[in-house]
Amino acid sequence: MRPEHWLYTIPLRLRSLFRREQADQELDEELRDHVEQKAAEYAAKGMTPQEARRMALLEMGGIEKHKEECRDTRRVTWLQDLLQDLRFGLRMLRKSPGFTAVAVLTLALGIGANTAIFSIVDSLLLRPLPVKDPGQLTVLAFQQGNGPLLTPFSIADYRDIRAQTTNAFSDMLGYQVGLDGLSINGEAERVLTNYVAGNYFSMLGLKPYLGRLILPSEGQTPGADPVIVLSYSYWENRFSGDRSIIGKKVLINGQSSTVVGVAPPGFDGVWLYPFASVQVYLPLAMVGTYKAGWPSDFMVNRVLQNLEVMAALKPGVSLGQANAALAVVAHRLSAQYPKTDKSLQLSVYPERLSRPTPAASGVIIKAAGLFFALVALVLLLACVNITNILLVRGTIRAREMAIRTALGAGRSRLLRQLLTESVLLAFLGGLLGMFLGLLGSRAIASIPLHESIPFHMEFGFDWRIFFYAFPALRVSRTHITVALHESGRSIAAGKNRLRNSLVIVQVAGSLMLLIIAALFTQSLVNVQHSDLGFDPHHVVDFTMDPSELGYTESQGLGFYNSLLDRVRALPGAQSAAYNSSVPMNNQYGQDNLKIPGYQNPPGQPPPLVFYSVVSAGYFDTMRIPILQGRSFTDADTKGAAYVAIVNETFAKRFWPNQNPIGQHFAKVSGVANPLYQVVGVAKDSHLWSLTGPIDPCFYLPLAQDYAIAHIQTLQVRTSATPDVMIRDVQDEIRALAPALAVFNVETMMQSLDDLDGFMVFKIAAGFAAILGLLGLILAIVGVYGVISYSVSQRTHEIGIRVALGAQRSRILRLILSQGILIVGAGLLAGCAGAFLSARLIANFLVNVSFADPLTYFGVAAVLALIALLACYIPARRAMRVDPMVALRYE
Amino acid sequence: MSKPTDLVQGTLDMLLLKILALEPMNGFAVSQRLKQVSGDVLQMSDGSLYPALHKLEQEGWITAEWKTSVNGRRAKYYSLTRLGRRQLEKETDNWGRLSNAISRVVKLKEA
Repeated sequence: MRPEHWLYTIPLRLRSLFRREQADQELDEELRDHVEQKAAEYAAKGMTPQEARRMALLEMGGIEKHKEECRDTRRVTWLQDLLQDLRFGLRMLRKSPGFTAVAVLTLALGIGANTAIFSIVDSLLLRPLPVKDPGQLTVLAFQQGNGPLLTPFSIADYRDIRAQTTNAFSDMLGYQVGLDGLSINGEAERVLTNYVAGNYFSMLGLKPYLGRLILPSEGQTPGADPVIVLSYSYWENRFSGDRSIIGKKVLINGQSSTVVGVAPPGFDGVWLYPFASVQVYLPLAMVGTYKAGWPSDFMVNRVLQNLEVMAALKPGVSLGQANAALAVVAHRLSAQYPKTDKSLQLSVYPERLSRPTPAASGVIIKAAGLFFALVALVLLLACVNITNILLVRGTIRAREMAIRTALGAGRSRLLRQLLTESVLLAFLGGLLGMFLGLLGSRAIASIPLHESIPFHMEFGFDWRIFFYAFPALRVSRTHITVALHESGRSIAAGKNRLRNSLVIVQVAGSLMLLIIAALFTQSLVNVQHSDLGFDPHHVVDFTMDPSELGYTESQGLGFYNSLLDRVRALPGAQSAAYNSSVPMNNQYGQDNLKIPGYQNPPGQPPPLVFYSVVSAGYFDTMRIPILQGRSFTDADTKGAAYVAIVNETFAKRFWPNQNPIGQHFAKVSGVANPLYQVVGVAKDSHLWSLTGPIDPCFYLPLAQDYAIAHIQTLQVRTSATPDVMIRDVQDEIRALAPALAVFNVETMMQSLDDLDGFMVFKIAAGFAAILGLLGLILAIVGVYGVISYSVSQRTHEIGIRVALGAQRSRILRLILSQGILIVGAGLLAGCAGAFLSARLIANFLVNVSFADPLTYFGVAAVLALIALLACYIPARRAMRVDPMVALRYE
Repeated sequence: MSKPTDLVQGTLDMLLLKILALEPMNGFAVSQRLKQVSGDVLQMSDGSLYPALHKLEQEGWITAEWKTSVNGRRAKYYSLTRLGRRQLEKETDNWGRLSNAISRVVKLKEA
C-alpha cells in the first residue's frame, strides 16, 4: 500500500482497536436498521407487518454472524483477541480475589526466594573480578608435608616462584593485607591497606582514575617510595572526592607519605572479593617502614610469610600444566631452603573457586547447594499448589467452556484464552516475585557482620530470574486440558490420585523444613546459653592500635598501662584487661611451635597453634579459672624471663602425663623466638568457634610481647550500663591520646553475634523458619484446596446419602477421614524425609540430636492440628449440603 | 425473488464504489439502487453487503458518517473518498480491458 494509504487507514485500525464497543454498537444499529427498512418496504408492498419483518430477517441471515464477518474484515483481530483475552482474564482474576491472591502470592514466594538466593550466590561465586582477564587469574597456595593448605608466602619465595614459572604464568602479583592508621590534619582513622608489589596494578590492567597508580619500579627498595594510592570509594567517602588530594602528604602510622593517585571506581581490591573493600594501596617495600617492629630483612626473610599471591595463567596453559611447573619449583625451593621450605608443595586454584580461600571453596559450594535445594523445594511446592488450584478451577469452569463452544468459539480460541489467563497469573506472580527477591537479597545484604574490616555486599538484580517464570508456565498448562474436557464427575480416578499425592508431597516438604528450622532454633538457644569457658556477659570491648600514631614499643606500653590504671579507677568498672584477640573474631595469632619433649610425627610440619597476647589481669576479668600454676603478674615484664600460659588441651596434647608447669616451647617463624616457660594452665574455652572440639592455645603477657600484638582490645567488666561505661572509657582514651582511633566498641555479647558466633545459627534458624512457614502456608492451602474440591465433586453423592438417611455427623467423618489420610501420609513421609536430611546438618547442631524425637513429634503435632483445621472447614460445608439442591445439580 | 448472479468480488467492490460515487447513501439505499439500476439482475444478499461495505471502509476507499435521515432516525451514510475515487478509476479501467478481451474472444467467428 502506498504510504498515504497507510496514514489514512491507521487511524481507522486504531479506532477499531480501541473503540471496539462503540463500533460494535454502530454495526448492530446499522444491520437492524437495514432490516427495518426492508420490512417497511415489504409492508408497503402489501405484506402484513409480521410477515414483512420475518421475510426481512430471513434475508438478512444471522445478524451475529455478519457482525463477526464484519469484524473479521478489520484485519487486527489477533491483537484485538489478545486484548480481549487479557481484559477478560483480568476480570476473572478480579472476580475471585481469594484465588488470585493465593496463586500470585504462592508463585511470588517461590520465585522470590529463588531470586534472592540466586543473586547472592551469583555475586559470591559467579561475579568476576572487575579487572583485565579475570578468567585467567589463579590463587597460589602451599602445603608443607601433610599440613593444611595455606596461602601467605614470604616475599623471597614469591620472587623466586615468579621468576621460575614464566612458562606457565604471564605474571604474578603479591600483596600483604594490613590494618593501619591514616591521619590527615591530626585526625586518625584505621584503614584496610594492601601493600602491593609493583606489578599489581599493571597485571590487573587497571588505569588510575586520578593521578597515577603504583608503578612497577616502586616496591623494590625498602623505604624508598613513600607513596600511597587511595581506592575510589575511600577517596569519595573520606575526602569527599576532593581532587586536590593528589600530592598532599598524609601520615601512615605516624610516617609521612604522599598521595599520588586514586584507583578506578568499581575496584575494591582482590582480597576477600566481593566482601572486603580495600581502602589504601601502598608499595610492598614500605611494610618495614610503616609497621613498627617489623624486621628490616623482610624482603629476603623466608620465615616471614604474609604475602598473598595471585598468578595469571598464560593463554593456552591449563591448570594441570601450571601445577606441574610449580611442582618443579617447589622441589627446588624445598632443597635449597630446608629450614623454611621443607616438603613444600605448591598449587594453584582458579580465582573464582577461591573465595574466600582456596580451601574454603568446597564449603561455599556445599552451602550454596543446600540453600538452592531448599528454595527449589519451596518453588516446587508453590508450583504444585498452583497446579492443584488451577485444576480445581478448570473443572469448575467446564460448563463455561461448553457454552463458549456452543456460541461458536473454536478450540484454539479457547486454548488461547486459557493460556492467556495462565500467562497473566504467571506474569503477576513473577513480577511480585522479582520484587520480593530484590527485597530479600537487600535484607540479607544489610545484615551487620560485625567484622573489623570494611565490608560491603551488593546483590544485583539479574535478568536471569526470568527463567523461573517458565516452570510456573508449564504447570499452568495442565489446567487447560482439564477445562476443555467434559464436566467434573467424569474425571478419572487417576487425576484424583495425582492431586492427592501432590498434596501429600507438600505436607511432607513443609514438615521437613519446619523440623529443620526447629532444630536450628534449638541450637541457637543452646549455644547462647552454653558454657564458653569464659563469662561474656557485662563486658565491654574497645579495640585500638597506638602504633597507628607512630608510638614506639615503650610509648605504646606506657599508654596501655596508663589507660588501664585510669579505667580501673572508674566507677562501675569491676575489672579490666587487654586481649589481642577477642573470641570468635578471627584475630588469633597462629604460629608453628618447636616443643622440646614433644615428638613431632614424621613428615608433619611443626604444630600450628593459636595464641593470644593478654595483660596480667586477663584471666580474672574474663573469669577463666587457672587450673595449675599461676596467672601473669606485673613482674612478667620485658627484662624478666619469658613466660606463657597454656590451656588444658595444649598441655594434654604436647605433654601428656607430664607436669606442664616448667616445660618450654618456642615459636618457629616469629620475628624473635624466645623460649617460653609455662607458668600456668588455664581452663579450656571456646575461642575460635562456638561448637566443635577445642584447639590447643597459649597466652603470652602483653608486657613481654607487645611487638607482635600492638593491636589490643581493652575488655572491661562493668556493673554499670554499657552506654555509661563506653562513654567513660572513651573519655579516658581521648584524654591520653586524642588522635587515636578506637573501633569495634561493643559489648562482648554483641561481638559474639557475628559471623563466627551466633550469627550463623541465627541465619540458619531464620532462613529455615521462613522457608518452613512458606511451606506450611502452601501445604495448608493445598490441603484445603483438595478437600474442598473433593467436597464439590461429591456433592451429588452426599445429597444421595443424606436423602437416604445418613447422619450429618457421618458425612463429616467421611470427609474428614479422607483429609486425615492425606495429612497422615504427608506427616509420615515428612518425618522420614527430615530424618534423612537432618543428618546433613548434624554438625551444626548444638546439644540437640538431629533425630530428636521431641522436636519431630512436637512439630508434626502442630502441623497436623493446622492441617486438620483446614480439612474441617470444607467438611462442615459438606455437612450442610441440602439434598434437594445437590440432587438437582447435575 | 430471483437469485443473484455470481459476481467476482473485485467487480462487486467496483460496483459499490460507483454507486457511492453518485451520492452518499446508507447501506440499504445502496442495495436498493444496485437492484434498481441493473434492472433486478444484480442483487446482493443483505448478509454479504455489510461485510463488503466494511471492507471498503477498512481499505480507506469509503468513509462513513452518522446522519439523521429524512424520517428523523440515525443512519450511517457512506461516501467515496479521494483514494476511493482513484481506486474506482483503476478498477473501471481494469474492467474495461477485461470486458474487451472477453468480447474479442466471444466474437470469434466459428468455423
